[in-house]
Amino acid sequence: MASVHESLYFNPMMTNGVVHANVFGIKDWVTPYKISVLALLYEMTTSKPIALQERRRLNKLILPLQQGPDLTLDQFLKTVEECCPQTAYAVKLRLHEMADGELKDMEYFFATLPTPFSAIDSEAYKTSVVGLFMRHMLLAYNKLSFSQVYKLYKALQQYYHSHYSQPGDVQVGLPALAADDSDMDLTSTEDNVGERMEKEELDTRPEVVDRGPLSQKQAEYFLARQAYLLKNDENKALKPSALQDELNNMLKFNPDFAEAHYLSYLNSMRVQDIFISTHSLLHYFDRLILSGSEGKSNGDEGYGRSLRYAALNLAALHCRFGHYQQADLALQEAIRIAQESNDHVCLQHCLSWLYTLEQMKGSDSSVLTEDSVKMAAHFCLPYLVSLGIQSLVQQGAVQGKTAHELMDALKDTDILHWKHSLSELIDISLAQTTSIWRMYGKSTMAQQQAQLLLNMNSLEQVNFGVQQNNTEAFAVALCHLAELHAEQGLYGAVSEVLKHLKEQFPPHTQHAKLWMLCDLKIQFDRAMNDGKYHLAEPHVTAIAALNKTEGLYRKAQVLKALNRTTEAYSILQRLQLYCEKTKYTEMIIRVMLVTAELHWESSGFATALPLLLQALALARQHHLQALASETILHLAFTQLMLGVPEQALGVLHEAMEPILAHGAVMDKGRALLLAARCQMAMAGTRSNGQKHAALGLAVQSLGEAAAYFSMLDCKERLRDVHYLQARLHHTLGQTPQRNKCAMLFRLLDQELQAPGAPLL
Amino acid sequence: MAALCSEFGDLVQIKKQLISVISLCKERGLVHSIMFSLLMHEHVAYVFELEEDAQDMDALGLAKSYFDLKEYDRAAYFLRGCSSQKAYFLYMYSRYLSGEKKKDDETVDSLGPLEKGQVRNEALRELRVELSKKHSAGELDGFTLYLYGVVLRKLDLLKEAVDVFVEATHALPLHWGAWLELCNLITNIDMLKSLSLPDCWIRDFFIAHMYTELQMIKEALQKYQSLIESGFSKSTYIVSQIAVAYHNIRDIDQALALFNELREQDPFRIENMDTFSNLLYVRSMKPELSYLAHNLVGIDKYRVETCCVIGNYYSLRSQHEKAALYFQRALKLNPRCLGAWTLMGHEYMEMKNTSAAIQAYRHAIEVNKRDYRAWYGLGQTYEILKMPFYCLYYYRKAHQLRPNDSRMLVALGESYEKLSQHVEAKKCYWRAYTVGDVERMALLKLAKLHEQLNESDDAAQCYIIYIQDIFSCGEQLEHAEVSTALRYLGQYYFKNKLYEEASLCAQRCCDYNDAREEGKALLRQISQVRDHMEASNTTPVRRVSPLDLSSFSP
Repeated sequence: MASVHESLYFNPMMTNGVVHANVFGIKDWVTPYKISVLALLYEMTTSKPIALQERRRLNKLILPLQQGPDLTLDQFLKTVEECCPQTAYAVKLRLHEMADGELKDMEYFFATLPTPFSAIDSEAYKTSVVGLFMRHMLLAYNKLSFSQVYKLYKALQQYYHSHYSQPGDVQVGLPALAADDSDMDLTSTEDNVGERMEKEELDTRPEVVDRGPLSQKQAEYFLARQAYLLKNDENKALKPSALQDELNNMLKFNPDFAEAHYLSYLNSMRVQDIFISTHSLLHYFDRLILSGSEGKSNGDEGYGRSLRYAALNLAALHCRFGHYQQADLALQEAIRIAQESNDHVCLQHCLSWLYTLEQMKGSDSSVLTEDSVKMAAHFCLPYLVSLGIQSLVQQGAVQGKTAHELMDALKDTDILHWKHSLSELIDISLAQTTSIWRMYGKSTMAQQQAQLLLNMNSLEQVNFGVQQNNTEAFAVALCHLAELHAEQGLYGAVSEVLKHLKEQFPPHTQHAKLWMLCDLKIQFDRAMNDGKYHLAEPHVTAIAALNKTEGLYRKAQVLKALNRTTEAYSILQRLQLYCEKTKYTEMIIRVMLVTAELHWESSGFATALPLLLQALALARQHHLQALASETILHLAFTQLMLGVPEQALGVLHEAMEPILAHGAVMDKGRALLLAARCQMAMAGTRSNGQKHAALGLAVQSLGEAAAYFSMLDCKERLRDVHYLQARLHHTLGQTPQRNKCAMLFRLLDQELQAPGAPLL
Repeated sequence: MAALCSEFGDLVQIKKQLISVISLCKERGLVHSIMFSLLMHEHVAYVFELEEDAQDMDALGLAKSYFDLKEYDRAAYFLRGCSSQKAYFLYMYSRYLSGEKKKDDETVDSLGPLEKGQVRNEALRELRVELSKKHSAGELDGFTLYLYGVVLRKLDLLKEAVDVFVEATHALPLHWGAWLELCNLITNIDMLKSLSLPDCWIRDFFIAHMYTELQMIKEALQKYQSLIESGFSKSTYIVSQIAVAYHNIRDIDQALALFNELREQDPFRIENMDTFSNLLYVRSMKPELSYLAHNLVGIDKYRVETCCVIGNYYSLRSQHEKAALYFQRALKLNPRCLGAWTLMGHEYMEMKNTSAAIQAYRHAIEVNKRDYRAWYGLGQTYEILKMPFYCLYYYRKAHQLRPNDSRMLVALGESYEKLSQHVEAKKCYWRAYTVGDVERMALLKLAKLHEQLNESDDAAQCYIIYIQDIFSCGEQLEHAEVSTALRYLGQYYFKNKLYEEASLCAQRCCDYNDAREEGKALLRQISQVRDHMEASNTTPVRRVSPLDLSSFSP
């Protein structure tokens, strides 16, 4: 009895213990939906002239209809109707004839289909898309056995009648036809049809699970599309759970469809599920190894190849999950078997993963990378070459290579990219240039590059209506843009950019961490500028969760602002040691600056001096202009406090120009304020006439500084400025101005000292 | 003619005759004749217009004979109006089977390859609706409850199915089918414990069966033992179950003895014979396996078990192509036959056709994810392809399913060793030893690993345990490397200046061909050093307790 309960399904496609998915080479078969499409094609090729616009719309519809999943008759007719109601009616009539007639009507329909081999002039010629589809269908139909034909006919009847069982859709036929025919705006509908199709597809997804199986063609199309979307625009792809359901469904109907396993691997990577992703990856390669062995048994093209790539993929997977030791072992294995079989291409891929892994582990891998670039160039693998160069550029930038070397290298790779149309790498290259300019403190250039990337049209041939990709490059560029705007005090723009980022890269996705960090940094800086340290504090923990080094640095800043000097100092010491170990120059300089500030607090200006000089040397060596300017500001201030305002002013002039050109608004304000203070200090030593002139200059500087600070709404500094202004005006005897400034000062002072104020 | 007429006239007489001939045929299993008689009888009954109850009985008899002839639709048609519980069950059951049969027929000629998974038993839904109505009204008896459960299981409503099966066992505890179905649905011991099952003697059978399924062999054996003691000693079912259990824990001798006993009691038994052949294969008992194979072919050559036995037979004779062919035949007979997929994988491995082997193992896993042999086989395949890291995943899976099986642990250890992950490798080998090493290789490998890493104390310790282990188990193992162990120990003791023990080891070395020369050389060295020592007289440092070999003889 037990044997009756078991499904006795015997697989006729099995030979030699191996199941061949397609022993007949048929990738498609006839379903009622396909018959409807055939009817539509038949109407289009044979019937009376259709208006040109409508024909165009119909033509645009053919491909999605052929490739998409089976629709219900309702959906199908609605879509066709939107393009050409007349044809929809005709199609419906034809289906009605078949479904309400007898089996012979269906047979007659297939007999009357224009044979692609005879119709040379029509669209159904054998090599056309339509012709190919028709040939597939005819072939599949002719192969059906007696009972299968009957079953198909039954299915068609059911398909047609289920359309009628839903009330409300009956009037689709004639009345709608008359209404819509007259004034249909060509442009509007034409653009919408595609989108509407998509929307409808998406809308019907929840029911999709119940939907019948996909034919191999449909399945391939579905997988290709989803994989492309996962790579380029994750938001447009199905939700992880929905996609997994769909894939499970597909695998249930055809367990041999190995590609679905790979997509399942990609999909579970999205949700960081190591268990399922490993399982799917290995399953995929187990299947692939089989299909690869069909041709040559063990040679280069056989399954040996997929074995190597299987190990390599496993390494990549562990790399993604941060299991560096596992990744290393898997990679070594891939390298070993690739070496044994002399597969240089695979070896190159391994090498590029190897240096990536080394980089991720935090060790220096430039030698490996250089080797990789040379070898890849030798084996003509442009993708790997420029990927290697980009990685080298990144390392070089951190290690203080000169700007022109880096730019030259990037330019060379760009030529390579455009030659081979490697759009992905073009994006990366632009994002990298943005970052480099930003690092060098050239905000205008950075902004320009970022805009270039964002406004560029995609080079991909198959675009699936994706306007902007959500790859890492775009995320990086957008983050830079947000930070650049924040520097200029344009917080409205910042929030808009961040909003876009949030939409484009939802929090669960891979690159979301980038904008999260960027967002937190901006908020932190704002809170610090406003002097609302209690607001800045919670951000520190959040930042530390995303980036440990950055978090420590910010923590030190908050502690310093709260006058907890000892703690801040110990953190800074730790941070400096760590950064020196990892060669994180930017952070080293910043840490030095904060340490110097700490020295100021304890009036240790003389001790701060060597530290600042060291920082300056480092910044200059690495061409970090923004940091160099900031260091100079610090230096000038120290000198001022040490009582050498002339020196301070001299040093300051050096930095003034780049700061005014590229610096953040905050820095501009600070520079001018400092300049004014130096000028005041110097004026004290001068004779009367000169003194007046000098003080006038100082007033002017202060005015500019005040403008900058008010842009940022930075009240504490504004208060200082007003105080100094009032004093100066007093010295210069300009009573009304003095009174005005004094009043402003008083207002701000009250506001800042009011106990409840900071909370607002 | 006249006689005929008069005979026809007496319909009552005819009816009686028919009834008697029906029962006679029934006893002799002549189904077609029964059907003819029943048709006649029905006609006669129609003429008489008997009371409803008897009509019901007649319809039931007729339907039963159609049912026996596998004409399910016909049976269901004649049962449609019947009201008795028995008739109702048969009515529903024939509808169910008719659906199943049609489903199986459809799969062969579905519209496309992808559609094959979609073919459903269309009758299931209707059956479920009707049965659930009756169920909520409480009109179902034990058999119909069982059928309802089966329908639910087929519709993948596993949770409901479990409830219904439990109810069915309460209603009719002696129906083994319901227990068996329940057995397929229970996945772990916690689930088993949470069910409230009727207190009946059959429950013990069920629990024992469940323990076997859940790989809790010891508990299962205990249970069966108590059942034997309570009077079921002659039952072939229990004997076969115990044999299978012994097979699962690889107690080969016990299992073989039981199977032989089983075959004496029930010489034409085909069930479980594939397991028996596995055992014979493991022991390389060619003549016995050959006898078994020929015997089974004589009984029924188109049985899955027979094919598996023949496959094993050819495999033992190293005719792997033929073996694979027979496993394929077994799979054609029942594609869900798990063992055959795995065995076929092994055959392909032997034929060095790794890709086909991978495919076969994958199929086995698809049929049952808990098949540790298939996972292990996949691991081995990748190990042969020299991918030690890659195969780790598969070995881990296998180990997860059989945490106390030393073979997986040794395989894991070997892979780790190849990856130079010595810490993990040591852990695996040690664990393999502690869970009871079947092949007695774990310690030797552990010792060698320690030797490689220059951890001589640990290595010596392992060799000592290894030697004790080998000698205490008594039997002679082919691959035993006692000489290697002794050689190393001799050198080790010598280095640590324990000359007594060293010379003992060296002497033992001389018992083995491959180590004799070294043993002698060591003895010579020892005697030299001893001469020296008598002059200088220093006391040796003791680090590892000396090996006590006095109680064992090689």
